[in-house]
Amino acid sequence: MINRREFLKLAACLSASFGLSNFPTIVSAALKKIDYKTVPRLIYLQGQSCTGCSISLLQAESPNAVSMITQYSKLCFHADLSATSGKQALNLIEEYISGRAGEYFLAVEGAIPWGMPEACVLGDKPFGDYLTAAAKTMSGAVAIGTCASHGGIPAAEGNLTDAVSLKEFYKRKNINPLLIDIPGCPVHPDWVWKTIIHLVQVGLPELTNGQPKLFFDRKVHEQCPRYHDFQQEMFAQKLGDKGCLFKLGCLGPDTYADCPTRWWNGGQTWCVDANAPCIGCASPLFASKKKFPFYRSFEQAALGISEDNK
Amino acid sequence: MKVDIGPVTRLEGHLSIHTTVENNVITEAKCVGEMFRGFEFFLRGRDPLDAQQITQRICGVCPYAHAIASSYAQENAYKLNVPPNGRILHNLIQGANHLYDYLLHFYQLSALDFVDVTAILKYKGSDSDLTTLRDWVKAEVSSKASFPAAPFLPRLSGQYISDADINIGALKHYIESLEIQKKANKASAIFGGKFPHATAIFPGGCTQNPTIDHISSYRSLILEVRDFIHKKYIPDILAVAGGFPEYWNIGQSKGGFLSFGLLPIGPEPDSKRLFAPGVLSGDKIAHVDFDAIREDVKYSRYSSPSGLKVKDGDLTPSSQKAGAYSWVKAPRYLGKMMEVGPAARILVDYLQNNNPQVKQLVDKFAGVAGIKAGNLNSVLGRHLCRAITAVVVADFLLDETERIDIEGPYMAQYDLPKSSEGFGATEASRGALLHYIRVKDYKIEKYECVVPTTWNCSPRDDNDQPGALESALVGTKVENPEEQIESNRIVHSFDPCLGCAVH
Repeated sequence: MINRREFLKLAACLSASFGLSNFPTIVSAALKKIDYKTVPRLIYLQGQSCTGCSISLLQAESPNAVSMITQYSKLCFHADLSATSGKQALNLIEEYISGRAGEYFLAVEGAIPWGMPEACVLGDKPFGDYLTAAAKTMSGAVAIGTCASHGGIPAAEGNLTDAVSLKEFYKRKNINPLLIDIPGCPVHPDWVWKTIIHLVQVGLPELTNGQPKLFFDRKVHEQCPRYHDFQQEMFAQKLGDKGCLFKLGCLGPDTYADCPTRWWNGGQTWCVDANAPCIGCASPLFASKKKFPFYRSFEQAALGISEDNK
Repeated sequence: MKVDIGPVTRLEGHLSIHTTVENNVITEAKCVGEMFRGFEFFLRGRDPLDAQQITQRICGVCPYAHAIASSYAQENAYKLNVPPNGRILHNLIQGANHLYDYLLHFYQLSALDFVDVTAILKYKGSDSDLTTLRDWVKAEVSSKASFPAAPFLPRLSGQYISDADINIGALKHYIESLEIQKKANKASAIFGGKFPHATAIFPGGCTQNPTIDHISSYRSLILEVRDFIHKKYIPDILAVAGGFPEYWNIGQSKGGFLSFGLLPIGPEPDSKRLFAPGVLSGDKIAHVDFDAIREDVKYSRYSSPSGLKVKDGDLTPSSQKAGAYSWVKAPRYLGKMMEVGPAARILVDYLQNNNPQVKQLVDKFAGVAGIKAGNLNSVLGRHLCRAITAVVVADFLLDETERIDIEGPYMAQYDLPKSSEGFGATEASRGALLHYIRVKDYKIEKYECVVPTTWNCSPRDDNDQPGALESALVGTKVENPEEQIESNRIVHSFDPCLGCAVH
């Protein structure tokens, strides 16, 4: 299990890498106690990903980017931001993964093609080789988003590469590193940042199924502002209607996430506020089965099945 | 000598380029797409309405383009009557996504090829962002860290801008643009539900009803983004062009140009578009015919047949196939290699005299930079064409908000047919995007995507013709063949998205 020291280190590392400048005073004070020189670096690698989680992390609302990067940055490599490229970039990654460049945490976005290693290559090596080597030297790893946490879309039924999550990859390799899952397709930037704030302010957060309980403890449905509509049986009958979206296929009742209270894009909106049924993007089952479509007609929802054999 | 300059960073996904360099000139280049997921295969058998959700996950940088292309394809297949508001909301979502993408591309993905980060060390002003950045770089560089000032250093060797004011201004805008891109994404999320990966976009409209509340927030955000485009983004591009005028003649692709047209003005399937579609081959412009597109796989890692039409597309991965060097297929139009993207979009529109604002802007900036329209096929030309697109799109979005009827419907009514098929074509920020759906017994039987970077980063085709980027690299003079900052500038000018290209 993860101890508080390791978590604090991880917290400092993550917050430093992406930067959070507007912590409550008590939090920033705690962060500043961590010696800048000893904050481990973060190496951010992408597997079978769409880069959506990286783009989502850039949508974090509160921090001023420059103070983030300049005061706390230890983000040593990210393929979308790094000035370095080619062999120079590979050398940087190798220096860390070999253990020669000091302590680091690994952040992984995207799934890993277990059954077809050639389906994701970095330099001239399969992506999985980096993960295996890193397990010997890294302080821990964070799975960013649903692909890295649960397999996600690349692992959808019928996929040709046997795509797996980071935890499943390590399990099959009989490796057991320090690993935290933060799902979401994409991940909500707050889920990554505020995990760290919690860690720094009050210590180790409780995990549920490897995910921070603070964000993934309650179902979307339980916290939904349209729960009243559900109780009153005021159901949307067709796409675009107001009311409870359950009978259109809303997966709020099956999905653990706090979107209804957190909202997205700096509190601008969230799916259900835009009358769009929750598609369960933070769920381990997200998009996994062909026979469970995202949207259902009124009758289908009542039966709880798809029109598979219609 | 053979040099692999991959993995190329500051782009989406996994791209390597195998080059051959003789006497400091690139004589051959091969684009290698290094990641495969197989969307078209695992979409088969799914519910058709899953498609505009699942295809967004092809790319988290431009997900909305895939949602729109999929929606158009399904509208075409289901013969939906799209209400005017439905189309306007699609446009508001997609247009704002273009604006964010161009800012991200110029500042975060491209600027460090030209701008000298270390210039900050000599900064003597009092801007708090810049003094903080300066002090941080100083502390990092003098520290004993393994890689000080990462992710901004190390960097490739080469000549960077020497003018201190230009460097400092661009660095300040690098920081500001991170705030501005969020505003463009907030605007699109108002109607999309969230960004990335919108849940509110559907064939025939959008589930979010437009209200004065939504519209006024949208307009205010777009006005801020538009202001940045005019006052900072365009001047910065011209400043980079001033420092590197030779790049108006470097990185020319050597085939034709293809654009599917962007932002329909009106709900009908054949509505005129803000940017006109067309195929430019030599100096001749023709209408687009989707049946003229074939995807070759002689050098791609698939054992399925080569040269298939989009409708007949197939996908059998063969990771060890002899001679194959990329996961990207090689689409060709009537057998010809095409460049797609901002330069194609602007040239195709300009040469058809479609949008007077495009013509006026091209002529104006060509005059300022002392170039001809033909120079738009170049590293700087692609950057300029993105900026021209941004100006035209931002104005159009503000006009579109005026056309919303807040009492009117915003979603088409559905009665999905048992079997159907349809094409949907649009311009993603990176260029021409085509989706094709075929439905049988209420399930997806076939789904095909021909994506902008599939064209631009394609390997050689069955006739050994190189792809657009491959052709643009050949003939380039490189100072340091091991690193090739010049090649990186050319690659970045295409803004490759390999997640899209292979999908």
